[in-house]
Amino acid sequence: MSRDELNIKDNTSLFKEARYLQQRENKKQFEAPCSEQETAEALAYSKSAEYMEKNFSRQNVVINPHKACQPLGSVMAALGFEKTLPFVHGSQGCNAYFRSHLSRHFKEPTPSVSTSMTEDAAVFGGMNNLIDGLENSIALYKPEMVAICTTCMAEVIGDDLNAFIGNARVKGVISEEYPVAYCNTPSFVGSHITGYDAMLKGILSYLYTRSGIESKPGSGAESGEKLNVMLGFEPYTGNFAEMRKILAAFDTKYTILGDHSGNYDSPATGEYEYYYGGTKLEEVPQAANALGTLSLQKYTLKKTQEYISGTWNQQIAALSTPLGITGTDKLLEAISELTGLPVPAMLTEERGRVVDALMDSHPYLHGKRVALVGDPDLLIGLIGFCLETGMEPVHIICSNGDVDYNEVKFKEEAEALLAASPYGSEATVHVGRDLWHMRSLLLNDKVDLAIGSSHLKFAAKDAEVPLVRVGFPIFDRHHMHRYPIIGYQGTLNLLSLIVNTILQQLDDHNSGFNFELVR
Amino acid sequence: MDPVRHDEFDSQACGSIAPKVKACPRPKPGEAAGGCSFDGAQITLLPIMDAAHLVHGPVACAGNSWESRGTLSSGPSLSQYGFATDLTDSDIIFGGEKKLKDSIDYIAGRFAPPAIFVYSTCVTALTGEDLDSVCKEAAERLGLPVIPVNSPGFVGSKNLGNRLAGEALLQYVIGTGEPEPETVMGVNLIGEYNIAGEMWDIERLMGSAGIAVTSRITGDARYKEITWAHRAKVNMVVCSRALLGLAREMEGRYGIPFFEGSFYGAKETTYSLRQMAYLMNDREMERRVDRLTEREESRLSQELRPYRKLLKGKRAVLYTGGVKSWSVISALKELGVQVVGVGTNKSTQDDVRRIADRVGDDTEYIPEGGASRIIKTVRERKADIMIAGGRNMYVAMKEQIPFIDINQERHKAYAGYEGLLRLAKELAYSLGNPIWKLAASPAPWDKEAPPYDR
Repeated sequence: MSRDELNIKDNTSLFKEARYLQQRENKKQFEAPCSEQETAEALAYSKSAEYMEKNFSRQNVVINPHKACQPLGSVMAALGFEKTLPFVHGSQGCNAYFRSHLSRHFKEPTPSVSTSMTEDAAVFGGMNNLIDGLENSIALYKPEMVAICTTCMAEVIGDDLNAFIGNARVKGVISEEYPVAYCNTPSFVGSHITGYDAMLKGILSYLYTRSGIESKPGSGAESGEKLNVMLGFEPYTGNFAEMRKILAAFDTKYTILGDHSGNYDSPATGEYEYYYGGTKLEEVPQAANALGTLSLQKYTLKKTQEYISGTWNQQIAALSTPLGITGTDKLLEAISELTGLPVPAMLTEERGRVVDALMDSHPYLHGKRVALVGDPDLLIGLIGFCLETGMEPVHIICSNGDVDYNEVKFKEEAEALLAASPYGSEATVHVGRDLWHMRSLLLNDKVDLAIGSSHLKFAAKDAEVPLVRVGFPIFDRHHMHRYPIIGYQGTLNLLSLIVNTILQQLDDHNSGFNFELVR
Repeated sequence: MDPVRHDEFDSQACGSIAPKVKACPRPKPGEAAGGCSFDGAQITLLPIMDAAHLVHGPVACAGNSWESRGTLSSGPSLSQYGFATDLTDSDIIFGGEKKLKDSIDYIAGRFAPPAIFVYSTCVTALTGEDLDSVCKEAAERLGLPVIPVNSPGFVGSKNLGNRLAGEALLQYVIGTGEPEPETVMGVNLIGEYNIAGEMWDIERLMGSAGIAVTSRITGDARYKEITWAHRAKVNMVVCSRALLGLAREMEGRYGIPFFEGSFYGAKETTYSLRQMAYLMNDREMERRVDRLTEREESRLSQELRPYRKLLKGKRAVLYTGGVKSWSVISALKELGVQVVGVGTNKSTQDDVRRIADRVGDDTEYIPEGGASRIIKTVRERKADIMIAGGRNMYVAMKEQIPFIDINQERHKAYAGYEGLLRLAKELAYSLGNPIWKLAASPAPWDKEAPPYDR
């Protein structure tokens, strides 16, 4: 078939045609109650400094939020374990949102079920739903473990998961041995990162306790001199691969606690399975004997870290997302310290190559003013990366930044990091603010570049700032999550993404004199 | 096809003939099921583009859903903003009504919308917030419609949420305004949400036949036009059984006749346009419709020729839920595509009857069971393509099954004559893409045959 025969206009070109433009004009008569002029004035006002002040004094409404809720994180944590079915106790729309959200980001199916609570459950409690749900889902999806998290609804009516699961066992719906981990994750506190933490801790402590194993940390005998690694709420499957590469270079044995990369980066074999990869269940109790634990998201994994250092009595190296050269250096030092192994020459060489790449690009990065949006640990990493490349973070928004680790709050750490560099002197860290605040910031104090999730695209477009998509969720670009952003390789990827966005800008907005071949 | 009034149907909102099973059946625990009533209510009302939509509950009900639907706007974008009262644990204990009041005031003051829709969530319904009275008080104080939508997630399915949204429109919006005296009255389009701009194609078609659109309920709608929906001459329920109750009620209250129709496929499109003209009781209009549909159909059949060759005899499994099950079957049949399996999980008994009218005896009905059940049907029936929604898309990819997304996330408009052409193109592209051959062949050094020979 020739291409001409398939030439049907899509809505991008179609709706620019006169007949559609006319239709649009006609509709304006209904757009009550403002006139065109009033609308234009209001729009202009919304971009003013005066409005920014009002926007920042806004107390009681969130406009364009940048956080998801706890159970969404729990679902991701559950998918990090082998043949584990995430099970959301509440009304079913929550689960549908989580599945859509995660699938739209990773472009992969998300197996997760709901207890589909309805009005009668609201009155009498959700126990029957939970028990029926366990029976149905185990029959349908044949998981080897079920990981239950709650939603607002179950929390408000006060459902007791532990008792309900016990009753399910008494009723014979599940056997005494069948593993069911759980955690409480109401959405009205915390965010997706707290939910991730709650479920990871829930699964680790459950599997450890039921195994009857007594931890002998650093014993090595059973663990084979192993290291535990936790990546946390990790929207990049590529980051798992990068971590594996680094650990293989060190030639250390390790267990990744919570590895959802299999589920979100499985091959197309022609046959869909419900579960791919994940941490093996029997490895979890053994992990208590490891040399130590490396955490790559210290704010996200707060409770899990406390559990591991407390109950497992293990040494913990808690970092934030290791971005940039300095961030990766810290990572390698931490591995070296925990394992007693030297940093392999291969990685030192790679470091040199990436430093070289950063030098090549530095003239285009120096002094670029940047706005950042993201989760706390990612932001710490990004701030570090910006500062070491001479980019200047200006506006930083962290909606869920109300977290601390070892009594250091995210905001304090971010501010200290910024204060230690001359490139950080312009920056303000906003915690608990939303993307409508960011819009005001972008419009009133201009930047060259915005870095954040797809949700930032509306504010970035209003302010005509190019957006580099980093973090979660990325709905409108493909395959970003397959490329690591951590480690030296990740630093190179991030650098390419940023510097080429800047170079594209130069081409797009050239004055006619600087449309150059060589840059 | 002659226009007929389906008077024999007794329409309960969730199905017309007296249902054997409960209307809007309860979801089953432990399955990977679809959305909730909150979701359904939002879906119905969000396409009112100039209104503000405020979610009263924890931030994530809005955070998980804002700006993620493909319902397009020709102008205002206020509906695309994610507004939430962001309740925290202390609000759950001490109540969030003050916060709600302040949020409404802020939105009214800052964005000056023609109306604010306020949605309850599981949390606010359980803690017993008095949404109605806060909205009523705010509406009086601000001189602005502030409409409570009582559709918390737990009351049931997405369909029920559509229905509750319809009830909110009936109670608070329809009949509260009047059009300019010179406005020509015509048809209300109910349950057409302008996904991928489909409504615009329909509107243009109606315009060519001289049929006016009175209110869009709610694709690319403006609040004001819905207030005078009661002045329309005809209601057309487009592909959403959940809003049938709205049409039914409007017939009772205002004497507006209604019919159910679809714009998927040329035959259904022609039928719908003729039905409109017939119910308008306008002979001249009927003649215009005849001329238009004849012209469009013959033009379409010319343009479809190359696709028909490609698509003839191809087999499809359709899993769209709800009314699209039957309406899309007609479209596919016109293209020569045989439907060998069809999902009925969200369909009413009427829908199932319509499906039966349109498919052969050997078509498999898939009542429930999610992805694995659909895949099984594709395999067993040796289907060539799967047509379903976004949550099943990536499962199809894993199984290397050509796929078309036809639900709310779709980016292509399939309504009307041009829509059928687009559908044909998408089918041809999806089936003919070289990637399927590549995916189905083993690596050169791996002799093992692919699991399923297509």
